[in-house]
Amino acid sequence: MEPTIRVDGLSKRFRIYHQRSETLKEVLVDRRRSRFEEFWAVNDISLEINEGETFGIIGANGSGKSTLLKCVAGILVPDRGKVSVKGRMASLLEVGAGFHPDYSGRENIYLNGAILGLPRRYINSVIDEIVGFAELEQFIDNPVRNYSSGMYTRLGFSIAIHMDPDVLLIDEVLAVGDEAFQRRCMDHIESMRREGRTLLFVSHAADTVRKLCDRCLWIEHGSQRLAGDTDTVVDGYIGEVNRRELEALQASASELGGSEPGWMGVRLGSVEFAGSDGEVNSVTTGGELTVRIAYESPSAIRGARFRVSFYPAGQAVLLSVQTDDGDLGDRLLPAAGTVTLSVPSAPFLDGVYGTKVEIEDIASGRSYVEIDRPQSFRVQGAGRHEVGMALVGHHWEVPSLDPTSVNV
Amino acid sequence: MGSRPRAPQSGPIARRLELLGELVRRDVRARYHGSVLGIGWTLLNPLVFMLVYAVVFGDIIGVKGPSGKSYAVFILSGLLAWTFFSQALVMAASSIINNAGVVRKVAFPWMLLTVSSVIAALVNFLISLLLLVPFLILAKAPVGWPLMAVPLLVLVTFGLSLGLGLMLAAGSVYFRDLQYIINLATMIWFYLTPVIWPLVHYQGFFSHGRVGLIAHVVVYANPMTWIVVAFQDVFVFDRWPQHWHGLVYAGALAIALIWLGVRVFRRLRRRFAEEI
Repeated sequence: MEPTIRVDGLSKRFRIYHQRSETLKEVLVDRRRSRFEEFWAVNDISLEINEGETFGIIGANGSGKSTLLKCVAGILVPDRGKVSVKGRMASLLEVGAGFHPDYSGRENIYLNGAILGLPRRYINSVIDEIVGFAELEQFIDNPVRNYSSGMYTRLGFSIAIHMDPDVLLIDEVLAVGDEAFQRRCMDHIESMRREGRTLLFVSHAADTVRKLCDRCLWIEHGSQRLAGDTDTVVDGYIGEVNRRELEALQASASELGGSEPGWMGVRLGSVEFAGSDGEVNSVTTGGELTVRIAYESPSAIRGARFRVSFYPAGQAVLLSVQTDDGDLGDRLLPAAGTVTLSVPSAPFLDGVYGTKVEIEDIASGRSYVEIDRPQSFRVQGAGRHEVGMALVGHHWEVPSLDPTSVNV
Repeated sequence: MGSRPRAPQSGPIARRLELLGELVRRDVRARYHGSVLGIGWTLLNPLVFMLVYAVVFGDIIGVKGPSGKSYAVFILSGLLAWTFFSQALVMAASSIINNAGVVRKVAFPWMLLTVSSVIAALVNFLISLLLLVPFLILAKAPVGWPLMAVPLLVLVTFGLSLGLGLMLAAGSVYFRDLQYIINLATMIWFYLTPVIWPLVHYQGFFSHGRVGLIAHVVVYANPMTWIVVAFQDVFVFDRWPQHWHGLVYAGALAIALIWLGVRVFRRLRRRFAEEI
């Protein structure tokens, strides 16, 4: 059977203007031509999506996902290749598919319906449903310009799904709106899938794609990187994103110097993070973590305490550990040296973590010096099902019934 | 499979007509949205212009209506036709740019945005025609069968403004200044159209050497000359349009402009969504 959406060798070229002659003076007086470079935003993409399939397109920002979707929607005309779509198509590109700000929500519903090719009498029959789903009963006769961005999105989404499309194109739109609305959208998308509608879904949210899509395409710099079943493609994509993130983190970490000299001229030098296989700045959940802290001082230091605090990037401290006061109370530390902290089983879950290192005088509690590394290491939690920030050892007991004793 | 009944799908023509209806409704209302006087502005605008022209040119400068006819009716009949044309051009020129939000996000026959702006101008014109009624009665102007020519004149004017409007609408996406140029151009064009002075005044000037010759060519090549003169024939003189060759020319030009306008628009719309 002919696929519902067929994209064949599609390429789209954009112009990047350096100097754009837009005004009369520039065109007539300066005799200046617009100077621009061309680049291929989408390059030779082919895909076939069958009726009833939910297909995902993933990729980084600027990889050409949205351009591809706009070509499928017919808004952009491809420079090469062909697109064909069977049946009625509705699209949700960014927020609020082209509302007229001065018109009320109700008027915009009729206008949108007409644009999508629905008779007015059909819209009359579903308008209450549309308004209800968007939860805009009180505001539907107010001008759309007074709507919040959440209301805008809800109305746009509600219109698109009630237009009874055979094909629905969605671009990142689920990332906005509150939790409850998102859940209802997902439910609705789920029921549209069951009804055999075809969905094309663009996102960089791997979780959503994994949950919704049957098959997936990963594009990078406008070209196909990987296509196939969702898990394979998303795993590949996530692996790549993590690898890139780690590389960037390692590159920036290697450029970092130590701290300025603090009280008594004590300063911190390099702070190194290593995982179980010795890889820098990369740790596995439950694996080993080693932190090496180099310090310098004009003279020997007596009775100093070292503290290391870990926090998920951008959040509050999750865990703070420090050297044992009793043991170190009178110890004299050499003027320069390295302190090593070993965590045999790192309790952190997937993500980037920051680390704060402090040296304090035990007797007075006064801080010698401290240093903050907001991006100190990346934790790979691959394959684990725990959610949150920290791993705790746990054990389950689940009751079970002897199958022979059950009367069915 | 589907639990709900499927929505009916209009055919391609019905779909376009419905959308056009919705767009025209919106464009007509957009003019009066949030205004106290509402539709009254459509009447007030040409009325004020007419009064200003009647006072300045009729009373102060001393221009007379042709062969003893009312100057006010003369001015008003030409002015209404001209206002329709110029307003249609200005509205059409911005019809795509003003809908950037929709063009960027939804694929549909965008040309309908331009068509609807010209229809909206037509609706305004038809409303403003009501203005003529009290003046015709006051001036005791006889009105008869020649009135039947008006729909044809309106049709030709509509065609001229639609053809030009399509090119301007598409061109404005790439070249924003076009909108301002249009305002300026229509102002000059107004004086090259015999609205304030009867055509015979212009004709008297045509023998004045080289400038007269240029004026002769420009005024005769201007299709709006023949439309406006025909309006004056009908409303001022109660006679069938005299310059029928001019009207045939204007009609042919309208068809040619629509053909060209559609071609230009189709060509330029390919990059609308990215250039807008």
